Amino acid sequence: MVPSKNRLAVSCPTEEQNLIKELVALSTTEQIRKIRELPVSFEEKKHVRLVESSKGFFSKYVTGQYFALYLSFIQKCKEDVYLWVLLCCFLPLQSIRRFGYNIKSARQTLQLWQGIMKEIGGKFGSSVLNYFVLLKWLLLFNIFSFLVNFGFITIPLLVSDLSPNVSPNVSFRGLELLTGAGYFNHTIMYYGSYSNETFRGLVDYDMQLAYFFTISVYMVLCGLVLIFSMASSFKKNYALADQASNSAWQLLCSWDFSITNEKAVNQRKNNLRIQLMESLSEKAHRERQTTSEQLKQYGIYFGSWLLSTGLAVGCGASIFFLCQYEDEVRKSTYCCRNPEAETLLVPFVVSLMNMVIPLFFSLFNKFEQYSSQRKQIYALLFRNVLLRISILGVLCYYWMNMVPQKFTCWEPIVGQALYRLVIVDFIFLMLGSLFGEFLSNVIGTRIQPRLGVPEFDVARNVLEIIYAQTLAWIGIYFSPLLPVIQILKFFILFYLKKVSLTHNCQPPRRSGRAAQMKTIFIFLLFIPFFVGAVSIVAYTAWSLTPSEHCGPFRGLNSTFSVIGEWINDVDKVSSTEWVVWIYQNVIRSEVFYFLITLIILVIIYIFWQLIQGRKELIVLLRKQIANEGKDKSFLLDKLQDLQKSCPKVNKKQKKRTTVCFARFYSKFICLQFFCCCCCFCTLPNVLFFFSTQADAQLSAPLEISPTQTRWFRFYSLASSWRKRRDAAPVAFQSRRTFPPPAP
Amino acid sequence: MGNKQTIFTAQQLDAYQDCTYFTRKEILRLFYRYRDLAPQLVPLDYTNHPDVKLPYELIGSMPELKDNPFRQRIAEVFSEDGEGNMTLDDFLDMFSVLSEMAPRDLKAYYAFKIYDFNDDDFICKSDLEKTLNKLTRNELTEDEVKMVCEKVIDEADLDNDGRLSLEDFQHMINRAPDFLSTFHIRI
Repeated sequence: MVPSKNRLAVSCPTEEQNLIKELVALSTTEQIRKIRELPVSFEEKKHVRLVESSKGFFSKYVTGQYFALYLSFIQKCKEDVYLWVLLCCFLPLQSIRRFGYNIKSARQTLQLWQGIMKEIGGKFGSSVLNYFVLLKWLLLFNIFSFLVNFGFITIPLLVSDLSPNVSPNVSFRGLELLTGAGYFNHTIMYYGSYSNETFRGLVDYDMQLAYFFTISVYMVLCGLVLIFSMASSFKKNYALADQASNSAWQLLCSWDFSITNEKAVNQRKNNLRIQLMESLSEKAHRERQTTSEQLKQYGIYFGSWLLSTGLAVGCGASIFFLCQYEDEVRKSTYCCRNPEAETLLVPFVVSLMNMVIPLFFSLFNKFEQYSSQRKQIYALLFRNVLLRISILGVLCYYWMNMVPQKFTCWEPIVGQALYRLVIVDFIFLMLGSLFGEFLSNVIGTRIQPRLGVPEFDVARNVLEIIYAQTLAWIGIYFSPLLPVIQILKFFILFYLKKVSLTHNCQPPRRSGRAAQMKTIFIFLLFIPFFVGAVSIVAYTAWSLTPSEHCGPFRGLNSTFSVIGEWINDVDKVSSTEWVVWIYQNVIRSEVFYFLITLIILVIIYIFWQLIQGRKELIVLLRKQIANEGKDKSFLLDKLQDLQKSCPKVNKKQKKRTTVCFARFYSKFICLQFFCCCCCFCTLPNVLFFFSTQADAQLSAPLEISPTQTRWFRFYSLASSWRKRRDAAPVAFQSRRTFPPPAP
Repeated sequence: MGNKQTIFTAQQLDAYQDCTYFTRKEILRLFYRYRDLAPQLVPLDYTNHPDVKLPYELIGSMPELKDNPFRQRIAEVFSEDGEGNMTLDDFLDMFSVLSEMAPRDLKAYYAFKIYDFNDDDFICKSDLEKTLNKLTRNELTEDEVKMVCEKVIDEADLDNDGRLSLEDFQHMINRAPDFLSTFHIRI
């Protein structure tokens, strides 16, 4: 194997000069980025870096704004001063960069669970790793929430000595850890213990405003983070992904290089073979379905969807009736043994449903035959989401409508209900891990070896942690310190799942499209669950009357009226009238929102039209590429004919231009072509313009000018070749040689 | 983060940090991994640029690479001599490209080189057949192999020349968002 062919050698002097000139014009970080991205060997990168840094220093510091300084030093004209200037200006740059690198490596060591995630990714692949990454991300949300709540709401309360007093006849029993009531009811855990006063001290600290703004700012920040990550994930993983190239993708892109376990590698090879065979036979199978089979298929779909929806709605209704029953039992005269333990009934039933009903859904899924595996996963996910949303919806309806009428201090009651849900959900998660993974492993290896070792069900587990986080998000308003429980829960869950995974599960059989699933998960996290949680909290703040005798908003008509009162106070100070103006004319006026909605709709419509236009452009460009291929083969034939007819072609000239041009061509075309195609809207005009120019250019020896971009060069050459091909087929001397055809 | 190491000069470390995606600590850790493959061949002092090349057999026996079906091609692509014998620079370069911070275009370029068994700057049918056999342990029949390769060329070849050029390959990679995480070796 010839070594020089292995790398794209920057051996052409003009090419290297052009590269250096390009690099010198960029900023330092850009330079480093470009050097790292050069597809050349290490020696050449170091060489380029050295040449560029010495040239770059001069070009930056001699030209431009440092010219005067340099001149003044040069006028003093001592060699030492010159060197001193060099050192003084160059060294600080180096040390700054070194400092930056040190910071970066220090930051890396602080990252949580880095080693464990590498291990899991190496053994099980990136789809399983997605679960743990999501878990870590949600944990960070909770840590932030805890810090913010504790810092802005709880600490002022504790410091000002207005913390609630626990009445002496309530003592701590162990049951509080599960039910959240009793002793905890009088602590800072719940909404009811926070005061509504303004603390006078160094600064006037209004507890009402603090509570309101802390919760709302946290929710808004969460929403923004979710939107941004969803949008970037969607753009990277979904918009550009293509489903048509299934086999090509499976063969060339799907092999996971990070798997290091021999067994896992062999298993992956098996799975790939099965997948390739399936995809080859899928097409044949689809064509063979008759009408009656299709009708039967649709019948099965309809039946299973009806059953699933019925199950979800049924669960919701049963939870509602259970809540009412519990209420009646509480009110009835005969006293049950342990009224507090009875409150655990509803969370228990909810978690039990969440654990058992998805098994039915998986069963339905086995009977249905979807055309692709992805549709199967989506259907299953949708049904599970429907189930959880309906249960949560019913519970929230009950809390919003029934509870405020029955209790005087109702927010802590809701907080306690959420606390119980969170705790019991945690217990069931642990049990689920036990049954789902450990028992399946035992059954699969010892009792029924045909089933085999279970796989880690990523979709189900992800949905569980999203649901758990939703409970926390709803509960933050009613119980500001609920994130503490959530942090502990996720922390323990991480280690539990990791141990269960390594001991009980095998790597997934199908190399699924993990990146797209990640987008779906973030989308799920945001749209039904986060938006739902925020709606519940917003509804509570907007419409419901806070309880009269407890909590920071006691005595007000609604929580939101705290803003109105604050604005009234601000109005009295004359210097802040603009705040009042903004509040009354922007936030409270309906015209503003109407106008904003109208503008956003217009912008969406414009972008939509832009997308349609670009889709057409892509089709045109694809045809262009096919044309280029035909050009290439035509020219190749022509060249072969010429070579046969006149063997004494100027080989030296061909070689020199070939090496430089072919390498330069491939390097820059491949880097720029597909990245730039969507931004290029005025293609026909530019083509025409440069094709006229290119005719003149091709007659001269081929010089590569960096000013003309590679994009234009490609098209100019292409169109001029086509013209010459059509015009004068005989007397054409190709400057470009193509690799000889494969034997 | 002290400057207490004596293996490299500060300039050498800077050059490594600028030319790869690794931090100082990772570069030193990789040096020790490189040295562990052959402690008697690799000196502890690289300040005078010793010319040390480790043979392919040692590189291919690393736990990260030993089960990888493409380990030979990876070593060949990243080595200076094209035979798989790697200097420390090649070693760092290889793991830098295969790390998670390398951009997609760079990875796509090297992936193309890895799948191009006969080094002709195109992935032709024979290259695809070799790739397929490496990935399926030679368990497919000849007909099945041919069918799969034809389907792949059908799907991915845009300029209709019967083989995949770098542009075709990169176009396919652009539409496969998982590629960044699969073409990745953790070390």
